[in-house]
Amino acid sequence: MARYVANRLAQAIMLLVIVSAIGFAILHLAPGGPLSQFAASAQMTQEDLDRVTRQLGLDRSLPIQYLDWFGRMLRGDWGHSYRDGEAVLSVISSHLGATLELMATATIIAVLLGGWIGVLGALRRYSLFDSLATVGAMIALSIPTFWFGLVTIYIFSVKLGWLPAGNRETVGDGSFLDLLHHLIAPALVLALVETAMWGRFMRSSMLEVINQDYIRTARAKGMPEWRILTVHALRNALLPMITVAGLQFPTLLGGALVAETVFTWPGMGRLFLDSIGYRDYPVVMGILMFSAIMVLIGSLLADILYAVVDPRIRVG
Amino acid sequence: MTSAALSTVQLAPGHAAWRRFRRHRLALAGAVIILVLVLGSAFGPYLLPFDDTYIDIMKRFAPPLSGAHILGTDELGRDVLARLMMGARVSLSIGFVAMVIAMAVGIAVGAFAGFFGGVVGAVLMRLVDAMLCFPTIFLLLALAALIEPGFVTTTVLIAATAWMWVARVVEAQVRSLREREFAVAALAFGSSNLRIMFRELVPNAVAPIVVAATLNVAKAILLESYLSYLGYGIQPPAASLGNMLNNAQIYLTSAPWLAIAPGLAITLAVTSFNFLGDGLRDALDPRMNIP
Amino acid sequence: MPGIEVDQGIWWQVFSPLWFIDPDGKFVPDLAREVPTIENGGLSADGLTWNIKLRSDVKWHDGTAFTAEDVKFSLELINNPDFRARSRVGHSLVKDIKVVAPDEVHWRMEAPYSPYMSILGSLTFIVPKHILEKVTDPNASPFHNAPVGTGPFRWGERVPGDHIQLNAHTGYHGKGPYVERVVFKYIPDPTVLYTQFRTGQVDYTGLQGILPNFVLEAKTLKGRKIFVSSTSSVEHIAPNLEFGALADRTVREALYLAINKQAIIDALNYGLPTQTESFVPQQAWSFQQGLPQHKYDPAKANTLLDAAGWVRGSGGVREKGGVKLEFTNSTTSGNAVREQTQQLLIQDWRAIGAAMRVNNMPAAVIWGDFWQQSKFNSVIVGVNFMLGSDPDVTPRFGSGAIPAKGGRGYNTYQYRNPEADRLLAEGAKQFDLAQRKTTYGTLQKLIRDDLAILPLFQGFIAEGVKEGLQGFRPNINMSINCWNIREWYWA
Repeated sequence: MARYVANRLAQAIMLLVIVSAIGFAILHLAPGGPLSQFAASAQMTQEDLDRVTRQLGLDRSLPIQYLDWFGRMLRGDWGHSYRDGEAVLSVISSHLGATLELMATATIIAVLLGGWIGVLGALRRYSLFDSLATVGAMIALSIPTFWFGLVTIYIFSVKLGWLPAGNRETVGDGSFLDLLHHLIAPALVLALVETAMWGRFMRSSMLEVINQDYIRTARAKGMPEWRILTVHALRNALLPMITVAGLQFPTLLGGALVAETVFTWPGMGRLFLDSIGYRDYPVVMGILMFSAIMVLIGSLLADILYAVVDPRIRVG
Repeated sequence: MTSAALSTVQLAPGHAAWRRFRRHRLALAGAVIILVLVLGSAFGPYLLPFDDTYIDIMKRFAPPLSGAHILGTDELGRDVLARLMMGARVSLSIGFVAMVIAMAVGIAVGAFAGFFGGVVGAVLMRLVDAMLCFPTIFLLLALAALIEPGFVTTTVLIAATAWMWVARVVEAQVRSLREREFAVAALAFGSSNLRIMFRELVPNAVAPIVVAATLNVAKAILLESYLSYLGYGIQPPAASLGNMLNNAQIYLTSAPWLAIAPGLAITLAVTSFNFLGDGLRDALDPRMNIP
Repeated sequence: MPGIEVDQGIWWQVFSPLWFIDPDGKFVPDLAREVPTIENGGLSADGLTWNIKLRSDVKWHDGTAFTAEDVKFSLELINNPDFRARSRVGHSLVKDIKVVAPDEVHWRMEAPYSPYMSILGSLTFIVPKHILEKVTDPNASPFHNAPVGTGPFRWGERVPGDHIQLNAHTGYHGKGPYVERVVFKYIPDPTVLYTQFRTGQVDYTGLQGILPNFVLEAKTLKGRKIFVSSTSSVEHIAPNLEFGALADRTVREALYLAINKQAIIDALNYGLPTQTESFVPQQAWSFQQGLPQHKYDPAKANTLLDAAGWVRGSGGVREKGGVKLEFTNSTTSGNAVREQTQQLLIQDWRAIGAAMRVNNMPAAVIWGDFWQQSKFNSVIVGVNFMLGSDPDVTPRFGSGAIPAKGGRGYNTYQYRNPEADRLLAEGAKQFDLAQRKTTYGTLQKLIRDDLAILPLFQGFIAEGVKEGLQGFRPNINMSINCWNIREWYWA
């Protein structure tokens, strides 16, 4: 087991090196630069621009810049934002809470609701409920999230006035109820796709399990149906869900980014978009690396957990 | 084995697949809707009395069903229906072309890595893994923000974020097929590597490829709409379903139909492709599992 | 790090300049006891020696006394080669800064430069020496996250990407402040900003203001007041004067005549902006009245082009001597109104045989080398040509200010006119207002005749204030209208 984990870790670190090189190359090879924003509106001359370019070290060759950045990153110095000079890690951590709040809420909704729909759909396969759930899930997966967000805002904020149109809290309020009030719309919008995903996966996993021999054996032995479902079927159907959760992570993060842009939610997605707009390379790189690390940890944990939970899997 | 016998052997599963597919009514509906969308966006604009870029500033924001404009007019007094058709044409084209590129790259990389394995295969698949570490949208935006937006760039960008899954699927298929007897047999007959790869192995992986391709179109349409919605996609005066939404956004309170029409069109198109993909999956290989 | 516009709203609350410019364009002393003039001896007659007398009752937020040393430190910091100052225009001329007394500082200018009054008055804030001198790297100091100033508000807290809170500084040396705290909320989406203003979640919508399409509705809201005010930015089409057909003045005049400006102003911008023909805002002392008025006259445009030998070729596009009358137009992608304007222009210009194509880019790309190094054909842009309230446009229109030709400045139009150069040099040396008015008036006529830019309208901003909040005074001489929150109060 330890060897397996070490092996996977080594792979993950190698992946991170490739990821960082790809990310760095994409950002720095593109036209434009962090200084463009000043050029148009501010009273900066070309001389000023050249000077700041030099001061930021942007006049060095790309491999040198990359190695410099990478070396610092290993030592925990992820650089400073070009926009306000703040350390990248602290910029990220100050936006992380909002994103996690959104993602966690949406996941809880999705797991509970999607799980329920999936199990019920599997048990009553081809029933009206199952058909509706299948069609509904497919439509939910096909609706553009941002458009759904816009429609939500139009109906619930503009027309009905029930929910705020964006942001995480009312200035000067920030009580639990206020936070909850702001959370509802973006969390539900994000949960829509997630619920559909979880429902579909749960359904197929459950279907696979209830057709297994041991379930039939249990039935033949006259075990009560509810016991079969909870003790045997559900537990075994939930196992593959661990992997799903791990692999779903990038999608979830991407979905959060979309929801954040529509609801001006002050999280990582918003930060990412703004930072790209400003060519704030250190922050953009920071977020790319951070999300890659999260994705890797997600799949790593999923694999390990799965191996631990399922005795049938032998890893060497 | 005679050639006649061979063809009957191949026909039988094809018939079964078609029967399974036909039973899948939603997939059939999806296919019909896609056909309607394609025909509508290809020929529809010629049936309308309005040009999609003709500006009539005096007739801004005419609501739907008021006068000659069936779906009303937009912020520059252009006919929304005409723009919707042209927008669908652009969005669907991007979806198809991006899919083709992603498929080509994905199949090539996957087949190569799966067939040769070893160091080349490992390096290629690690590259795939690395690319998959970025959440698609993060990668897409990072790329999009840096490149001049337009039809070609948008298409290539979307393809660039979509080929990795295909590569993975094809690699796995080819790797397992390679060990099977007919590949070994072909090798024994002295066929060249390339020939075996693309004449023997890849065709045998056609089922998952077709399904992945269909689902890929759906994904590409969604991504295009999001990119254009953020202003990084198709540029004016050309319409795409996404940039219509982008333009409509600030008029959401006063002219909501501008946002509703393209949004519904996107949902319709994407749902259709997803249903079609689902149906194809059931028909071609019921046990296949691609997310 | 050089700041962005958002920051200016904060700077005005936390820091103080030596003097500021009021809405009427007058200099009003702030940290200085009086505004230096030749009459009061603050300026020498040749404009080379500046003697500034300072207030002696000003304290930094941490209680330390403000002195002439801080002024000397601030100006030297801007000129420190290691400091990432945003701009050194004007500052680089300052030499030999001497602290004569705790409340008096003198310096010498390398050359007379009258716009420096305005630069000091609206763009330069004084920072505390006693804090920053201890810092090794002024660019990445913790000071940025907890600045100490002499302004009416002290730093409270900052939640990045969300808000910044400032609290009243009770020991403020000037008028006010009357409100206890100010929260600057970061709302990047103007639609959401408006919705929040409408529902009463924000008291004042600054910086971006209210989108034009909401203004009519906003004016009907109960308990809200809407102010539409001009800004010093001029929305214009920037031609690259070295590019193809655009280099021909006749072409520019024809294009200008073919623009349906009224449709742009009335329909796309809901009648909010005002027409202009100059790069100087109409409210400024230096504004030149009576410049030739634009008229929408496509027929005349066609006649002009016909007469100049631009003949219609294939596809209705004109050409002359192998040069086609076609070009691209760029602006920041995602700017809705500008994108609409472009599409209108395509149609307007097609009618006179000119083909324009849209080539928009994200902000970070377009304003980089593309704009700086004049790689564009034409651009729609809003530019504030003024240095504070000063009409010195040497960096915009001086022939030595073309970055694409190695010049220092941002004359990205590549405008070159010896007469303009002469007027610019003369204006910068003049300290007498009447003389300067004549000089810059002549310059405005020249730029209008050459059509170095095709002005669309003078910039505007619609800001909403909740009823009961008093003291809001738009100030065209400042980059931002919330410059005087210190004087705001709830009635």
